[in-house]
Amino acid sequence: MTQADFVETIGLCQFLPGPNIGNASIVLGKRWFGFAGALVAAAGLYALPLVWVLALGALYLEFADHTYVRAVVTGVGAAGAGLFIGTAIKLGTALVRKPAALVLLLGCFLAVGVGRVSMLLVMPLAAVVGIWIARRGWL
Amino acid sequence: MIVLELALYFAALSLVAFGGMPAVMPEMQRFVVEVKGWTTPAEFTQLFAVAQAAPGPNVLIVSLIGWKVGGLAGALVGLVAVCGPAAAIAWWVTELWERFKESPWRAAIQKAIAPLVVGLILSGGYVLATPHAIPEWRMWLIAGAAAAIHVVTPRLNPLWLLAGGAALGAILLS
Repeated sequence: MTQADFVETIGLCQFLPGPNIGNASIVLGKRWFGFAGALVAAAGLYALPLVWVLALGALYLEFADHTYVRAVVTGVGAAGAGLFIGTAIKLGTALVRKPAALVLLLGCFLAVGVGRVSMLLVMPLAAVVGIWIARRGWL
Repeated sequence: MIVLELALYFAALSLVAFGGMPAVMPEMQRFVVEVKGWTTPAEFTQLFAVAQAAPGPNVLIVSLIGWKVGGLAGALVGLVAVCGPAAAIAWWVTELWERFKESPWRAAIQKAIAPLVVGLILSGGYVLATPHAIPEWRMWLIAGAAAAIHVVTPRLNPLWLLAGGAALGAILLS
């Protein structure tokens, strides 16, 4: 597999719906070993981390009543939320020069983040609007 | 029954999860907390924290929710449901997508999806840092600091930021 091929495959998997790395395991597993390959790759990807996360989760649920444990875990959650915000800022700076893209971005944030409208409603609607705008060359 | 509901919902979510898991966090939180009441808002942020801190793909938060709601069966069903439909798309669409490489529609779809995904990821951060829909300065301080450091030092391993969040949480939130 070449570097360019890898970049393209990862790019596609980031675009496709669903867990990116999970999609990559399907696409690559399929390419080299067909259906069995895809299945084994996905199983291999998730098996051990699943055990880990459930072990950590069980540990957390065991001590969740403890004030300090809750404070620490909530702090980690807040930092994780910050990582999302930082990622959005990094990705968003690429769109700053395109007003139509910023309007879509903010509209999406106000509807889903602040307004708590279901994404299952917002996403198809916004996608249609976005594709229309993109076809006019505004994105 | 609850496991069936879990399966159907996460399978549907899988199909709209453009941009991966961060983009569907606000929707997952809305459904799990506000619609179903499977966890409290604070618990959801904590389960998210456990999934972030654990090694492996962050989609595993779905297993934690499933575990909380339906035990081991819930954990497995949730994970298969959230990965399955997306995996089917990845299986079928890859070649199709290649074939339309030159199509203006493909370019338009990609350009349209990009700002939406960014808006959704921003929403996810906002919702997780604002669990009770009321701004809470200590949560926002930790999130804001992590966001700022993540932007200015892109090479820093995010685990350090999570560790910093743990330390600040112990000081500020207990």
